[in-house]
Amino acid sequence: MKRIFITISLLLSLGFLLTGQSTDPLVSNCVMNAGSDAKYLKDFRIQLGKATGQSELRYKTNMSLWKNTKYRFTMCSTEDSKGKLILNIKDDANKVILSSYDKNTGKTYPFVDFVCNKSGIYQLNYDFTEGQQGSGVGVVSMVK
Amino acid sequence: MMVRIFFLSLVIVISFSCRNRSTNSSEFVFPEADSIPLSEAEKLSPEAIEDIAKNISSPVEIANLLQMLEVPFSQEYLAASVDANKESTNFNKAMKLGILGADLGYLNMYEKTGSSLDLLSSIRKLAEDIRVGQFFDFETIKRLSQNKSNLDSLLFLSIDSYEQIDSYLRTNDRGHLSALMIIGVWIEGQYLATQVVSKYPDKILRDRIGEQKIILNDLLLLIAPYCNNSQEFTSLCNDLYELKNRYRDIRISYTQGEPVASEKEGGLVITQTETSVVEMTEEQLNGLIEITSEIRNRLILNN
Repeated sequence: MKRIFITISLLLSLGFLLTGQSTDPLVSNCVMNAGSDAKYLKDFRIQLGKATGQSELRYKTNMSLWKNTKYRFTMCSTEDSKGKLILNIKDDANKVILSSYDKNTGKTYPFVDFVCNKSGIYQLNYDFTEGQQGSGVGVVSMVK
Repeated sequence: MMVRIFFLSLVIVISFSCRNRSTNSSEFVFPEADSIPLSEAEKLSPEAIEDIAKNISSPVEIANLLQMLEVPFSQEYLAASVDANKESTNFNKAMKLGILGADLGYLNMYEKTGSSLDLLSSIRKLAEDIRVGQFFDFETIKRLSQNKSNLDSLLFLSIDSYEQIDSYLRTNDRGHLSALMIIGVWIEGQYLATQVVSKYPDKILRDRIGEQKIILNDLLLLIAPYCNNSQEFTSLCNDLYELKNRYRDIRISYTQGEPVASEKEGGLVITQTETSVVEMTEEQLNGLIEITSEIRNRLILNN
């Protein structure tokens, strides 16, 4: 009886391990909070330690953005993050076309809507305010 | 003498410092070489390959564009003839996984989720056959499709499943299957767009088709290391090079401008004033429509 119980427990555990799916609540909440007019496109999960004197945003990724599309970039941070997740986007000429963080006022925007009129590959750069440690997710959606 | 050597070295470094893609300040052009040297494609780091894989636009974007243009949904665009039980090689399975993934995106965006159950079963079969079935949460996606209540969750799970499959394949020395899946998604999205533009000749859609030139070279970079793997891969590479040829004379130019910012509902709104302009003749577009249809239908039929 004991062997049967152990075997069943092991099989159940194995079943959970093999599922291969974990819907992170931070990600799913951030997706849901992007707005009723937003349709999910992509997300980027960011986890960074405290920066050591760097001025550039540390998490970099590329994404194609197409004209005649309005994108929403939503930033969500975990509660225990020391800084807030911020984003800037550069075009292929390395020019910053948008930033969710205003260096002059220290204001961070939880989302940025981008009306794209020039198709191309853009570089998305994420970090946490003042290079602090943090964990978060950046969700990209399409908006009507 | 030393000064001359220094300046010569500087010129050489600057000449070779750019990545494969070349964009001058006002126009997008393909790199000089007609084909991607295998040695260059093989030099790409896993991070560069991941970047390229993420560059390829989601089929959801094409479907979103069609909805925005009020193009009615049509079942005839879908790869209905694909029978997941009859795919014999991993090449065909990975390619069909991509193609059907694009169809799933189309169905989901148009909220025709009730029609997607057969498609979901096919996707599950193909994913299991190439041993990535664990990343496709079939039961949850099926339940969300049947409930029709939460499109965002459905889109998220569907897209996320594919991204997990792609990541797993690339990090487990099966990059050739990842490349096929990504190309399958792209080809099906391109097919959808070109078929629709034949009936609804909208300029925005035409431009989107023309702008695919921007990522075509990246697609070739993804597949180039595998072009000599088998006859199937060689044939696919030849198809993509032919497609690249059709895009060669299509021009994409850019105008400059500064973004306009405003605040709205606690967020920031940035409107880009720079634009991209596509110059494509009717003949060039018809050439793209024709070749895309040929390639896609040949891939569907495993010819």
